[in-house]
Amino acid sequence: MADTRDVIIIGGGHNGLVAAYYLAKAGLKVLILERRPVVGGGAISEEFHPGFRCSTLAHVTGPLLPKISRDLQLKKHGFTMIEPQARVCSLAPDGRALVLYQEASKSAEEIAKFSAKDASRYGESQEVVTRIASVLSELLTQTPPALESPTAGDLLQLLKAAKNIRRLGKKNVYRLLRWAPMAVADLVAEWFDTELLRATVAARGIFGNAVGPWSAGTGAVLLMWAATDANLAGPASFPAGGMGALTEAMSKAAREAGVEVRTSHEVSRILVKDGEAKGVVLSDGNELAASIVVSNADPKHTLLHLVDTLHLDPSFVEKTRHYRCTGTVAKLNFALSDLPRFTGFNGKLDRSALSGRIHIGPEIDYLERAFDHSKYGEISQEPYLDISIPTISDSSLAPAGQHVMSVHMQFAPFQLKDGNWSNRRDQLRAVVTRTISGYAPNFRELVLGCQVITPEDLEQTYGFAGGHIFHGELALDQLFTMRPLLGWARYRTPIRKLYLCGSGTHPGVGLSGASGLNAAREIVKDLR
Amino acid sequence: MGSGAAKSRYDVIVIGGGHNGLVNAAYLAKAGKKVVVLERRHVLGGAAVTEEVFPGFKFSVCSYVVSLLRPEIIRELDLPKYGLEILPLDGTFTPMPNGDYLWRVNDHAKTRREIARHSRLDAEAYEEFGKAMLQMCKFVKPILAMAPPDPASFSPRDLMKMLFLGRRFERLPEDDKYNQVQLMTMSASDFLDQWFETDVLKATMSASGIIGTFLGVRSPGTAYVLLHHYMGEIDGAFRSWGFARGGTGTISNAIADAAREAGVEIRTQSPIARILVKNGKATGVVMQSGDEILSDLVSSSIDPHQTFLKMIEPEYLPDDFLEQVRRYKFRGSSGKVNLALDALPDFRCLPGEGPHLRGAISISPSVEYMERAYDDAKYGSYSRRPYIDVVIPSLTDPSVAPPGKHVLSCFVQYAPYKLKDGTWDEKREAFGDNVIDTLSEHAPNLKNIIVGRQVLTPLDLEREFGLTEGNIFQGELSLEQLFFLRPVPGWAQYKTPIRDLYMCGSATHPGGGVMGAPGRLAALTILNQLKNGAK
Repeated sequence: MADTRDVIIIGGGHNGLVAAYYLAKAGLKVLILERRPVVGGGAISEEFHPGFRCSTLAHVTGPLLPKISRDLQLKKHGFTMIEPQARVCSLAPDGRALVLYQEASKSAEEIAKFSAKDASRYGESQEVVTRIASVLSELLTQTPPALESPTAGDLLQLLKAAKNIRRLGKKNVYRLLRWAPMAVADLVAEWFDTELLRATVAARGIFGNAVGPWSAGTGAVLLMWAATDANLAGPASFPAGGMGALTEAMSKAAREAGVEVRTSHEVSRILVKDGEAKGVVLSDGNELAASIVVSNADPKHTLLHLVDTLHLDPSFVEKTRHYRCTGTVAKLNFALSDLPRFTGFNGKLDRSALSGRIHIGPEIDYLERAFDHSKYGEISQEPYLDISIPTISDSSLAPAGQHVMSVHMQFAPFQLKDGNWSNRRDQLRAVVTRTISGYAPNFRELVLGCQVITPEDLEQTYGFAGGHIFHGELALDQLFTMRPLLGWARYRTPIRKLYLCGSGTHPGVGLSGASGLNAAREIVKDLR
Repeated sequence: MGSGAAKSRYDVIVIGGGHNGLVNAAYLAKAGKKVVVLERRHVLGGAAVTEEVFPGFKFSVCSYVVSLLRPEIIRELDLPKYGLEILPLDGTFTPMPNGDYLWRVNDHAKTRREIARHSRLDAEAYEEFGKAMLQMCKFVKPILAMAPPDPASFSPRDLMKMLFLGRRFERLPEDDKYNQVQLMTMSASDFLDQWFETDVLKATMSASGIIGTFLGVRSPGTAYVLLHHYMGEIDGAFRSWGFARGGTGTISNAIADAAREAGVEIRTQSPIARILVKNGKATGVVMQSGDEILSDLVSSSIDPHQTFLKMIEPEYLPDDFLEQVRRYKFRGSSGKVNLALDALPDFRCLPGEGPHLRGAISISPSVEYMERAYDDAKYGSYSRRPYIDVVIPSLTDPSVAPPGKHVLSCFVQYAPYKLKDGTWDEKREAFGDNVIDTLSEHAPNLKNIIVGRQVLTPLDLEREFGLTEGNIFQGELSLEQLFFLRPVPGWAQYKTPIRDLYMCGSATHPGGGVMGAPGRLAALTILNQLKNGAK
């Protein structure tokens, strides 16, 4: 029959594409069904203003797993990673700026302008974090062990992990144990005195999640990110042409491996018979059969909406409902007639300093207050902003001499206390414009256009349940063997032949592609 | 030892006559050791004391309820014989600003009906929740009674303990495993959201997760403490919370009497200046009076800051260890307001005298209220509208007040030790007024019936009771300071880098509350060590 295939993958985000590639390479016939007209999920580039393009959602990527980049031959498929000179430029309200680089020594020189003591400690902290991160990074590509009923293999794996961790030495083991449950605010206070530096480093522990720097467990999130890129300054690299270039290259690699990709095909239901996935039903009513269904959608959408919950144990349904997946992020993309002049550089335009990310959130308390608003369903009045001006390194994204500015804004709670998101766009835009203008007074005059993506848009348009950009909160209770749920952290679901491969599974951090890689490996294992 | 008659010699010196120090001493003496307890203040009990603050009015000045005192300690030290009597504290009454209230009592059927008045679903869930918590308690209970293993050690003893914990976990039914990991990692508020919908119920229950910590009900790691509320039930010794007849000091006095009978010598008003160390071994103490007391072994029930940063010369301690001790967090977050009353408070939502006044009265009307109280503290001021836990022990135990009069005790959170503006000496009375104002919103007659008022800020708790930074648990009960990380990693087994110097206070596993477990576990560790050392 023409209409059967081995695997259907629901959703063509980066993890879906990675899983598809590896499954096709294992000899399976794979079909990706993407709801939107383009593949890429959260990693896309779109023209949001005539002549202006940028990474619509995610704007920087940590290093992709080198294995994925190699296996998929992304370079051959037209993907180039841009590594800006600076990692992050952190702006202070007093008009100063702290720039951190790839090399810790160069960062230390900048930090010395603020504190000689911190400058000398920066290298030490970076070294320790790099050491611990190197062990943690091995976990990224491992399937979490089944803690609840470990097999001999699991025990061996656990033992190996324990051995690796012990290899760190007693002192680092204790550090790891202490740091993980800590509030990231406490953690950075152990390292540095300079408030601006503390806030810049701590921000990574709260990025994308419904937490503030004083929330316990944000230390673990910081370490998870460090496992993907140990630099304390955080990542800055992005693909030439924007994030969409990455997923286009992945898509090409997948198709070359034999994967069929159908866009504008929305799956409305997963067919289940006798506890086993049999295929999917599209929104136009057509049914497509497959031996295996893999969902790149988040766990809540997959298990509560695409699957009829009648097929699931009520207690499993209840637990899935309680999976915490409520976002606090808005995204604003600005088309600018010129580069803004930041007061941090005495009116000069320091293009290289601005080439990485720009961080606004100068104090720990500033970040915490921004979070406070969201706890009560309000938009932060002084938000934490993570900004990228990709046109500094990639002029292809805007007309000559003009720029795009991509702004990740926190906190914009998915659930508002009053009103709804449809009439809050202008407010978001105003808050962000005001905040940026505080650091770059001429910003307002430069704005030619602005795209506002609210948490509701993230759900409605881009398919992130609850508007959560990581498919679920990264928190101690939802990591590793507990992502998405304890007992179901191995990419399988209670429905036979239905798998998860999205960010709602381990490791769940950003654009590493590890979830897709791990899921594909488990699926192939089950087939043997 | 021929060094003079002024020097007396003991097997063990216990520093601090708080409940843990006394428990520690009692166990050691019962095993035949010659023990002396040295207490700085004129009364025993540390933070578990009863004091007559105003003539005829006796207050459990700091710690005011009992629930956690380990039943094996009550049994092994035979405390009822020495006057310990626990009177039940029946229920928790939460007044609400809308004129309603939530009143949970120990009678299950009544509580069920009361919760059903707010939400039928919650009434069902409450039963389920109670059962689930009991299961969790059964899992946690042995952990409270064991010295923690060292996870970075390869010693067979530590590995066995880790294995024991792993296997216990593995044997739990699936749902219990799920609950257990959630309890260890989630916030009280998130955890309760999964079970209940009634805001006031969630707020009042979540309060037990934040007591004594610098965390809010939405902070991860606070869910675990919810368990403690259920711990009393499985022990069967007494249900949930209670008062000690005569005030919390009676507990300390009972333990002290048991200790004395076992041969312990107890000296009050005996402040210590220094711990004597010779060749890396503790050999005794120097009193502030200049006298030296020698011993084979020193057991300190005071916190690690005082023990290691004030009483020992830094050159005797490894730098790494000192750094960890300095990092150990106290961050007191609570104060106490004790009131002498000539009548009972009259609550607007449930007027008149009644059994609702006999239990705890909790000012925790909503989760948002609780969280906003925390927000104030995060930025260095006391809560404009704090969480208050009120008890009126004189209703249950008339002996603590003159006839017809009452004592009322408020535990107030948050009151951060470090204020952003001003000092606690300047803010003390304003803080007290704020507490009375908050309570008066619910009980308008309060201001007219107060005949005496004692306000204890975190600074006062530090000065008076030696609780560093006013932390009532001798250090924050946060995840990175629990179990094998308490007080510092690598030294969670009551031992210290100095030979024959031990820790036995609330800063060691399993931590604070009038529990007595650290004192007992430390004593068992010491006895074990002596047995092995003696060969």
